[in-house]
Amino acid sequence: MSIEQTRRSFFRKGATGAGMMALADLLAADERGAGDVHPKLPGLPHFPAKAKSVIVLFQHGAPSQLDLFDYKPGLAKRRGEDLPDSVRQGQRLTGMSAYQEKFPTAPSIFQFAQHGQSGAWVSELMPYTAKQADDLCFVRSLHTEAINHDPAVTFIQTGFQLAGRPSMGSWVAYGLGSENQNLPAYVVMVSQGTGNTQALADRSFGAGFLPSKYSGVKFRSGADPVLYLSDPAGYSREARRRYLDDLAALNTLKHQEYQDPEIATRISQYEMAFRMQASVPELSDLSSEPESTFALYGPDAKKPGSYAANCILARRLVERGVRFVQLFHRGWDQHGNLPKEIRGQCLQTDQPSAALVADLKQRGLLDSTLVVWMGEFGRTVYSQGTLTETNYGRDHHPRCFTAWLAGGGFKAGLTYGETDDFSYNIVQDPVDLHDLHATMLRTMGVDHTRLTFKFQGRHYRLTDVKGRVVRALLI
Amino acid sequence: MRTLYLPLFLVAAHVPGVAAIEFNRDVRPILSDKCFGCHGPDAKTKNIPLRLDLEAEAKADLGGRRAIVPGDAAQSGIIQRITTTSKAKRMPPVFTGHEVSPSEVETLRQWVEEGAKWQKHWSYLPVARPALPEVKQGNWAKNAIDRFILARLEREALRPSAEADKEKLLRRVTLDLTGLPPTPAERKAFLADTSAAAYEKVVDRLLASPAYGERMAARWLENSRYADSNGYQFDGERYMWRWRDYVIDSFHKNKPFDKFIQEQIAGDLLPKATVEQVVGTGFNRNHRANTEFGIIPEEYAVEYVVDRVETASAVFLGMTMGCARCHNHKYDPLTQKEFYQFYAYFNNIPENGRAMKYGNSPPQIPYPTPAQQQELAAWDAKIAATQKAIAAKSNEIARLQKDWERKLAPASDEHWLPQTNRRVALGMEDPEQTRANFATVQFVPGRFGKAVELRNGAYLDAGFETGNFDIEDRFSIGLWVKSDALPDGSLFSMTDDKPKGRGYAVEARQGKLHIHFTSDFDDDAIRIDTEAAVLTAGRWQHVMLTYDGSRMAEGVKLYLDGMPVGLKTELDSLYRPFTNAGKAFPHPFRLGAGAGPQRRFTGWMDDVVIWTRVLPADAVALLGKGERLAELAAKPNVKRSKGDERQLRSAFLETAAPLELRNLQSRLNEYLQEREAFERTFPTVMVMKEKPTPARAHILQRGEYNKPGDVVEAGLPSFLPSLPAGAPNNRLGLAQWMTSRENPLTARVTVNRLWQMIFGTGIVKTSEDFGSQGEWPTHPELLDWLASEFMDSGWNTKALLKQMVMSATYRQASQLSPELLQRDPENRLLARGPRLRLSAEMVRDQALAAADLLVGKVGGPSVKPYQPAGLWEEQSMQNMYYVQDHGEDLYRRSLYMFWKRTIAPPMMVNFDASTREACVVRENRTNTPLQALNLMNDVTFLEAGRKIAERMLREGGNDDEARLRYGFHLVLGRDPQAQEIEVLRRSLSYHRDYFASDQGRVEKFLSQGEAKIAAKAEPRELAAYMAIGNLLLNLDETVTKE
Repeated sequence: MSIEQTRRSFFRKGATGAGMMALADLLAADERGAGDVHPKLPGLPHFPAKAKSVIVLFQHGAPSQLDLFDYKPGLAKRRGEDLPDSVRQGQRLTGMSAYQEKFPTAPSIFQFAQHGQSGAWVSELMPYTAKQADDLCFVRSLHTEAINHDPAVTFIQTGFQLAGRPSMGSWVAYGLGSENQNLPAYVVMVSQGTGNTQALADRSFGAGFLPSKYSGVKFRSGADPVLYLSDPAGYSREARRRYLDDLAALNTLKHQEYQDPEIATRISQYEMAFRMQASVPELSDLSSEPESTFALYGPDAKKPGSYAANCILARRLVERGVRFVQLFHRGWDQHGNLPKEIRGQCLQTDQPSAALVADLKQRGLLDSTLVVWMGEFGRTVYSQGTLTETNYGRDHHPRCFTAWLAGGGFKAGLTYGETDDFSYNIVQDPVDLHDLHATMLRTMGVDHTRLTFKFQGRHYRLTDVKGRVVRALLI
Repeated sequence: MRTLYLPLFLVAAHVPGVAAIEFNRDVRPILSDKCFGCHGPDAKTKNIPLRLDLEAEAKADLGGRRAIVPGDAAQSGIIQRITTTSKAKRMPPVFTGHEVSPSEVETLRQWVEEGAKWQKHWSYLPVARPALPEVKQGNWAKNAIDRFILARLEREALRPSAEADKEKLLRRVTLDLTGLPPTPAERKAFLADTSAAAYEKVVDRLLASPAYGERMAARWLENSRYADSNGYQFDGERYMWRWRDYVIDSFHKNKPFDKFIQEQIAGDLLPKATVEQVVGTGFNRNHRANTEFGIIPEEYAVEYVVDRVETASAVFLGMTMGCARCHNHKYDPLTQKEFYQFYAYFNNIPENGRAMKYGNSPPQIPYPTPAQQQELAAWDAKIAATQKAIAAKSNEIARLQKDWERKLAPASDEHWLPQTNRRVALGMEDPEQTRANFATVQFVPGRFGKAVELRNGAYLDAGFETGNFDIEDRFSIGLWVKSDALPDGSLFSMTDDKPKGRGYAVEARQGKLHIHFTSDFDDDAIRIDTEAAVLTAGRWQHVMLTYDGSRMAEGVKLYLDGMPVGLKTELDSLYRPFTNAGKAFPHPFRLGAGAGPQRRFTGWMDDVVIWTRVLPADAVALLGKGERLAELAAKPNVKRSKGDERQLRSAFLETAAPLELRNLQSRLNEYLQEREAFERTFPTVMVMKEKPTPARAHILQRGEYNKPGDVVEAGLPSFLPSLPAGAPNNRLGLAQWMTSRENPLTARVTVNRLWQMIFGTGIVKTSEDFGSQGEWPTHPELLDWLASEFMDSGWNTKALLKQMVMSATYRQASQLSPELLQRDPENRLLARGPRLRLSAEMVRDQALAAADLLVGKVGGPSVKPYQPAGLWEEQSMQNMYYVQDHGEDLYRRSLYMFWKRTIAPPMMVNFDASTREACVVRENRTNTPLQALNLMNDVTFLEAGRKIAERMLREGGNDDEARLRYGFHLVLGRDPQAQEIEVLRRSLSYHRDYFASDQGRVEKFLSQGEAKIAAKAEPRELAAYMAIGNLLLNLDETVTKE
């Protein structure tokens, strides 16, 4: 049933004459903007936006930059040597390796090669991403303040290590609203990796001190893609329509008597709920996708809840005008058994991530969609635990890590920033997370200093009191 | 035709050019928001010479120029700079993102022209009790509140609304005071009561009900970020529910709120503090706690203290102190130094930044439930009775004991060993008790009878059960040791026998003793050494270790020859058990080994005894003497010490008395033992505890834990009153200061929060911020009147709430009119009654109550009602599953819902409950499609719909109309109007047809929830009514206080 049909049936079967006229007025007023489901803030965007939508492919647990993108050929001859103090510089270590007596250098056992015209270095673990290299902008000089998962994820997601602030998706939903009135503005999907897993807190996609309606809405695989979406067993769509008509009739009577605009809003929220009941399953139902889609996204693509399936959904969400989509893929915390575990993680994610970029591009959506691939920090060059010819682990490393961005006004085929020979310290063009946020907002047409929310007497922003737009990354 | 009304200027109440300017109301908000960020209290750190928050500086001569020239706007720098067309000179600079609007410019200009009069910030001025304002419509006012409200309405030429009808009023006040809807019987009774006091009787009944305590506690849990899990990464379970019980009880009993605050902040420091008072301080421990393995504990210890400061300052003082953590406050006159002085009050607690992965983190105290307290009293009575029975026989005992003493063989090795909780005594007389490994050991004459001789790496294996303890067990281990050389090597252990091994052990190191409890050597362990070498060569010495299961170094004691030994703690960071839940520790209790083959003990050991309790110091003192009973018995009575008597009496009764007496004694021992075991089952509460040293803190540069600066003593911000005379400079003094008559903030902030609870928005809208950036109160005199009234009443919360709900203001109907909608959309002036969406827990509790599913039990552990499957699994680690409860626990009030911080109950979050990650004071209400889906499709509301349907059918009468009416009574507490009945009838008839056409639908639809389906109900009819029941729960009015 289309929206128009539902509305018509609503008026046909709805409440008594006079009441319905009032309601018709109400809903009409709604469509003029007062009840816009996802309105943007006045004055936004500040600049013409390049990226209309964002998809963040969050690799949760922190993938090793050393084994994927930050090629360090010089390390091979230093295998097993203790990391020089001149490199470590008394750097703070996690409690897990702080007591380690040796810090043996562990070169990646994976082969690297340059790819595409841009010549970006990508390891053999990511063959599909490598093929897409000319569409990607690699930033090898990201760094963060936090050294443990929880504060680090909270930091990269909210701009602050402690709980309480809105996630970037919430900021964007709050500032820019969304273009689809039948779907949430900020959608989150979680998939499970095969490697060592860390906990994922709701706050990572929460609205913090912003009103809770800006929280990321989690789409899940299974019967209820959104919590409580499905009508109860034995209750049909037609019955629900009738139910809502009767509910609206009663609420309209109430509105006539009380004239409280909240009642009108409530009526329209129920209508939105009804529309979501159709639009979300329609979105999640991949049966209309051609076989070529599944071939592109790889062997997991037909498996509901997989990273690959979520990548397809991300594309479908963006096609429908959803503002901010975030995937979390868990399992990247390779303290030990890194070679085996990272292989598993890459098998699940490499092809779908690359496919998403290619797919958006072939549909002409890449220019208006920013895709971000990142984790919460990097990993150490020294082995945590015993280093052998075929095995090693890597501890948390906040001082440098690699992300890639594609589309949405970011320069394709660029590799930005440089780390030292140990991928330990940044030697050129550091980008901190506030800078990353500021730059992401900039391509969405937002001046990060002017998207603020007053809370507890202070005008807060995603970039706290920092952040600078890294213009070199932008077209 | 639409009439246009002039909207009210509520925030900047001043309309330029119209009325006289008041600095606090009109000017400070502009200066604060637009200027103080740079020209405020923190200007100096930024090298900005001008401060606009201080009158003297703002008006000072800056070399011929002045920012403010009273009476001369044109000459005033600030007016010039905010009006200049020069982009370079214009203030505020573009980068700040701020702009001063034309009307704000006019306000500032007028203020300067009128003489630029300054005021101290309003909320820091003492609370005065204003006179009641004169009003024209005096007969409308029912109490003082109304006079203030009406005065403002009359000034704005607004009229109050008519009184709400009785049904509305009853539902409103019942929801407000108990969080539950009125029952049909309560409705009936109230409608029938035509007396003038009918409403007041209701109010008194509600305030007296236990549900009131729960309702008030629900808010307090949000304020104090209560949760059942630790938060951060792993987010394991903690147990603070007895603190919640205490909060419910405190509100229910109407504990004076100043006493309540004192207990929250410093109950542990009150003179002769009761357990309840100590438990109150759990308020300060409700913050998140990090258990992640890799963290640096010091970093998080700082965060906990900051969290305590932020919470206490927001909840009690309406201050955003956290803003001064890294630098001086940008808006309020709070320096960074003052922040750390305040911080010092909350910093003086012995705690570890890394919290326990499972369970509570020290310090904590046991707090038995009322039922447990009763049972404990029963144990005490039994014990007392048995002691009495023994005492009654004291003459007989004395006589028999004398005989026994005479018969003791002078050469006997018998000596006293307390029997209660004694697990094992290895006297070394029987080699079978232990297994010797690696080499043959000799049993040679020792301290008492035989001793074991350990040489050449030999040690004794005493089996798996002997010393099997984990980090939460209590135990004592004593033994005699001797060595020819300075004793060296492992004395005893339950470890994996490696140098940095797991388990617990005591090791001699060249005469010093080293104790450790280790889960991971690096940072999950307790390590303690004696300050000096205590063991010497060539003589028998008694060593006793006691441990109280607290997982803290302070719970470890070591005695040498019965005397406590000075200890030095090297590491105090034990937080994980030695074994994973349920698994047995795979190594035995060893004597003479524990830290690997290199650290074997050489020498003799005798009389190794293990108790499953902490032996008291006086008992250890006696054991350390190692006197033989025969020696003691040989002493004449006059020479015997109390200890001698005790040993003889106790040894006689336990081992040598006639059977009847021995039984009596062993029964006493059993009771003591069982009482101890019972005590160990008590729930605990994390509480505050004060270190003996004065409260101090480092100023942390940029707020970072690893950049400590100067040390400061605990102290209060200088712009607020100082400590009351005689108050100590610690948390207790702080609590006394907060609740003193002179404190300008606490009472104001408290009454404002209660006002917010009843009317939806505080008199000060920013209920968490009464500072410079906070909003100007809509009714400043009323706020002060309420605050002084509250203090005068002895901080009587119920009396204050009663005044609010008895007011004519509260009792107004809540309909809007176009005029009111235009002029006062937020209802700040209260020309109508409050109309607001219910809080999350009320939405659910109301449904359960209407369905008669609600279980009225008050207090107890948290429960896990329905929740969509898989939510925990897909986001948590290490197989944490939400195991849903059944039966009663599905239907407890929502404040008992298990609250996991990182994955909060979704229904609660959908309806804007705070996520309990940090303190939340202001209430937040949104209106979303997810709420609609939640109410339509969550099993909670479907099952409730079914039970409401059953009630409509069973209790509602015999025809549809009566039954539908009854549904309205149940859910909305009122009679429906004709049109509403018409819609419901139509809906019912549709659903009858809908379910008639397909029997399969009926069964599926009815099978929601675990509550039984009423046997009598006809399924199809029930299904149709169930749709109506659920529909009623979805009405706007249902989720609204109206």
